Amino acid sequence: MTCRLTRACVILAVVACLAAGCGGKKRPPAVSTAPPTSEPSGRTPPTEVPPAGEPGPDVRSLGAETARGEDFTPSNAETGEGGPLEDIHFEYDSANLTDQARTMLEKHALWFQSHRAAKAMVEGHCDERGTVEYNLALGEKRARAARDYLVSLGVASDRLRTVSYGKERPLDAGNNEAAWAANRRAHFAVSR
Amino acid sequence: MEQRASRSRASSSRLNSAAAALAAGVGLLLARDSRPAQAPPSPPPTIVIGGEVDRFAIPDCIPRKGDEASREVCRTVTQVLRADQQFEGLFRFVPQSLMSAIPPMDPEAPNFTDWKGIGATVLVVSRAQVTGGEATVELRVHSVATGQSMLSKRYTGRDDNPRIFAHQASDDLMTLANYRGVARTKIAFVSDRDAVPGRRTKEIYVIDYDGYNPRRVTVNRSLNILPNWSPDGRSLAYVSYRRGNPDIFVASIYEGRSADLTSDKGGAAFAPSFSPDGKRIAYASSRQGNMDIWVANADGSSPRRLTSTGALDTAPTWSPTGQEIAFTSDRSGTPQIYVMDTEGLNVRRVTTVGNWNDAPAWNPSKQFSEIAYTARLESGGFDIAVVDIATRQVRQLTQGRGSCEYPSWAPSGRHLTFACGRGGKWQIAVADRLGRTITMLPAGPGKNEQPDWGP
Repeated sequence: MTCRLTRACVILAVVACLAAGCGGKKRPPAVSTAPPTSEPSGRTPPTEVPPAGEPGPDVRSLGAETARGEDFTPSNAETGEGGPLEDIHFEYDSANLTDQARTMLEKHALWFQSHRAAKAMVEGHCDERGTVEYNLALGEKRARAARDYLVSLGVASDRLRTVSYGKERPLDAGNNEAAWAANRRAHFAVSR
Repeated sequence: MEQRASRSRASSSRLNSAAAALAAGVGLLLARDSRPAQAPPSPPPTIVIGGEVDRFAIPDCIPRKGDEASREVCRTVTQVLRADQQFEGLFRFVPQSLMSAIPPMDPEAPNFTDWKGIGATVLVVSRAQVTGGEATVELRVHSVATGQSMLSKRYTGRDDNPRIFAHQASDDLMTLANYRGVARTKIAFVSDRDAVPGRRTKEIYVIDYDGYNPRRVTVNRSLNILPNWSPDGRSLAYVSYRRGNPDIFVASIYEGRSADLTSDKGGAAFAPSFSPDGKRIAYASSRQGNMDIWVANADGSSPRRLTSTGALDTAPTWSPTGQEIAFTSDRSGTPQIYVMDTEGLNVRRVTTVGNWNDAPAWNPSKQFSEIAYTARLESGGFDIAVVDIATRQVRQLTQGRGSCEYPSWAPSGRHLTFACGRGGKWQIAVADRLGRTITMLPAGPGKNEQPDWGP
C-alpha cells in the first residue's frame, strides 16, 4: 500500500508538473496539493470539475486515476473491445469451460487480485450458426460460466457483471470454421 | 347477410384505425401517409366470391384528367394493385394480353359482353385524378355476369404515396371473399445500415409488406433487435442494449416514445411476444439465474415465470387463442419446440425430427394449426420448416438459400416472412404458407434480418 501510494505520489507530481508547465504560473492549490488517496472519489469539490466538453488539461482527473495505483489499459469504454484480459473460447453449442479456458480464467483471477480497482463486464458471444434467440441464451450461459468460475477463484462477484451479445457482435465476420471458433468466446470488457 | 355485416364492420374499423394513426400526425417515426377515406354510402356487395371459380380482370386504371400527375397515380395504382393481388394468390386473373385484345372500355359503362368474351367473371375498374396535390382514386368492382356493382369505393389523400391507394383497394377486394388482405400490413426488421462506425449498432425499421417505404423506428445508436408488433399495430416491443444489458422496451411508434419494461429487474430479457389480445407479453429472462419463459402485463408489471427446468428456455410465441405458448427449450439436450399452457403446465414437445429446432412462430389463423420454426437440416444450414401441431407432420419451406431463419406470420396466416443469408449478407424474404413462391424484398441497404410481420 505504502509502496503504491509512494509511486502514485511521484507519478502525480510528474503529471501535475507536466500539465502545469513546471515553474510557470502558480498552480491552483487544490490541484497541486490534494493528497493522493486510494479512494479519491468525492474528495474533490465538484466545482473544480471543468465544464463538460471544455478542452484543456484535466490534472485532477489524471492524478486521481494514478492514485488508484492501476497500471493497465482498460477496454474501449464505448465498445468494450480490447483490454488487458484475453478472451476464453468455447466448443460449438456449449457453455462448458474447456481446460484451456479454465487455465486462462485462473490467470485472470490472479490479475484481478493484483488490480483491485478493475471491474469487468463479461460478454458472452456465439458464432453465427443458430437463431438469434438461442444464441442470446447461450451467450448468457457462457458469460455466467466464466463469471462463476472467476468468483469461485475469489474474485468479488460485485466486480463482475455479465451480458450476452449472442451472435450480434462477431469478432470475425467470416463464414468458416476459423471465424466461428474465434467468435465462440467470453470477452472481458475491463474498466476501472 | 351476416357475412356482409361483418365485412363492413371490419372494413370500417380498419379505416378508423388508419385515420387514428394519421390523426396522430407525422410523429417521429412514420412519414405522412395518404388519407384513405370511404366513399359515400355505396351499394353493398351482393355476391360472395368463391375464389376458385372467379376470374378477375384488372385493366389499367383510367385517369379522369389528362395531366401527368393523374396519369402517374393511375400507373402506380394499376401496377401495385396487380402486384398486391398476385401476392395474395387468392383469385385467378385474366392475362393482360387478353385484356389488350378487346376494345377500350368506357369506365362509366363497361361493355360486359367484351369482358365475358375473354373469360372474366369480375371486372375491377379503377380511376384516378390529382388536383392540387390531392389524389382521388375510385374503385368499382362489377360482376360481369349480371353487370351488378359488387363494390364501389373512393379514396382520397395526398398524392406523394399513391401506393397506399392501391393497397387499400387490394384489401377491399379481399373483403369481397371475406379474407383479410395483407396489402396494408407492415414488416418490422433489424438492420445495420445506420451502424455507428466501429460500434456495430443495429436499429429497428418498418417497411410496407412489399418492401417499399422504409422508415426507421429506433434512433438510440445502440444494439436494437428482435422486434415484435402489438396486435393493434401501434406499438413494437423490441430488445435494446441501450442500458448495457439486453432489455425489453415497447415503442409507441406513432407517438415516438418508448417504455422500459425490464431493465430494473436484473438479468437479461429478450424475445418479447405480444399476446393476441395485446394485454400481455411473453419473453425470455435470466433474472432468476436461469433462462426461462416469463409472462408480464404489456406494461411490464406482474411478471410471472412459467418454466423452471434449468434448461435454456427462449423464444415464446402465443397460440391464436392466447391460451398456449410455444417456445424453444434444450431440456432434451438439443433445442426443440415445446408447447405449454399459460400457467406453464401441460408441456409437450412438438418437434420430433432433427436435432436443432428453434424460433417458433405460431400461425395466428385458427384455420391452420401449425408452427413455423427454424430447423437445421442435414446440410448444416438452417431452413424454415412448418410443423402441423396435431399430426407432427413437417414441411420444409426453404432450401438452398444459405441459411433462413426467424419466421413470422402475416396476420392472416396465409403468408410468412423470414430472413435468409449467406456469408453475412442477410435479406428479408416473404412467402406463401406452403413456400411455393419466395420473394426477396427490396428492404434497402445493410444486413437486414429478424423480420416481424405486423398488422
